[in-house]
Amino acid sequence: MTSETNQEFNFYEDELIDEKIAAQQTAIEKEIANEQKLVGDLIELNTLLNEYLAEDTVYRSKITELSERFRYMRKTRGDGNCFFRAFAFRYFETLMGKPDEINKLKDLVNKFTSDLSQLGYNSFTVDDFKDVFIEELEKLNNTSDIRLLEEIFNNSGSSDYIVVFLRLIVSCYLQNNSDFYLAFLETYQSMKDFCSHEVEPMYRESDHIHIIALTNALEIPVGIIYLDRADQEKATPHNFPDDSNPNIFILYRPGHYDIIYRN
Amino acid sequence: MAQRLQKELANFMRDPIPGMSLDRNLVEGNLNVWVINVDGAPNTLYEGEIFKLQFKFPQRYPFDSPSVMFIGNKIPEHPHIYSNGHICLSILTDEWSPALSVQSVCLSIVSMLSSCKAKSRPPDDERYVQTCRDPSDPKKTRWFFHDDSV
Repeated sequence: MTSETNQEFNFYEDELIDEKIAAQQTAIEKEIANEQKLVGDLIELNTLLNEYLAEDTVYRSKITELSERFRYMRKTRGDGNCFFRAFAFRYFETLMGKPDEINKLKDLVNKFTSDLSQLGYNSFTVDDFKDVFIEELEKLNNTSDIRLLEEIFNNSGSSDYIVVFLRLIVSCYLQNNSDFYLAFLETYQSMKDFCSHEVEPMYRESDHIHIIALTNALEIPVGIIYLDRADQEKATPHNFPDDSNPNIFILYRPGHYDIIYRN
Repeated sequence: MAQRLQKELANFMRDPIPGMSLDRNLVEGNLNVWVINVDGAPNTLYEGEIFKLQFKFPQRYPFDSPSVMFIGNKIPEHPHIYSNGHICLSILTDEWSPALSVQSVCLSIVSMLSSCKAKSRPPDDERYVQTCRDPSDPKKTRWFFHDDSV
């Protein structure tokens, strides 16, 4: 066999492997979609114990300790949008039946919409997302029926539109405050570049910078509780901003965010 | 998705991009595939040439990007356009945002053609055209973007 045919053979093998990986990935995504609602029902936080082996004492003791302060939680689908979706659900939940606060958010939403258009964004696509965002928000003016909120967030049409609009708000905020935030970027040369790769595309996971930007843009503090294998007795809390006193809490386990409720 | 595409269509008709028009015969009844006639702009290397640009919208559009490629027997000769019609353009994959639209993609392609200084195919054209994963769908290719200046 000549070296040339050899190379071709390897190339073909690689292609086959790539295709297998792609097929496997699609299967995994499908499985996740079938098993986990976009935003799950209210469950007790200590049910998380079922996910860890008896020997896994670090996680188990942290979960037990945490469940004394945060009794309930909602799981979110691990599709890369989980931070935005968890935040949005919990934030909207705190606004239910509070038209004054809803109006305040609407003003902010309109401000970001015009900021985006000044940055050169297509107003007709931005408006499409904004309109759905406001339409869903307004449904909450006079109700405290949680089933309505669960419906909004489990219908991928409305749910994903809300996620996109929050992503656009973060992008807009970062671009307009790039002097400050540029220092946090490692691999990107410009804020625009970072936002078009890491903020605006759906399914792109969120990092500290997304959380900081969203909480500052909306002026809504968030507490993130980090549950990992670090050798500490408790899961580590971190408020955004540092000196705030949040009502919205999110549980972070490496690679994923879920909603948790403080007692 | 249908609603968004309706809006895009209305917007495309209301605010047309010079030199681009929808191929009506191909749109009727099926909003998921659009073919756009592209006239090479005056004072560019493509003046007088006519191309066909195809958009296929996935089920999860606008969350997922459309598949966009040139079709037919005239494919613009450009360092970022392969002879099978596939286009190497970051907003079509990595940098797709749901806030982009058919129009923003069209504008990027117009500016890509207009800024071209010398007609040529990408250096790896022959190999790519023979080995790309799916000739009818450029999104199946994993693109690497090296040169944004052309």
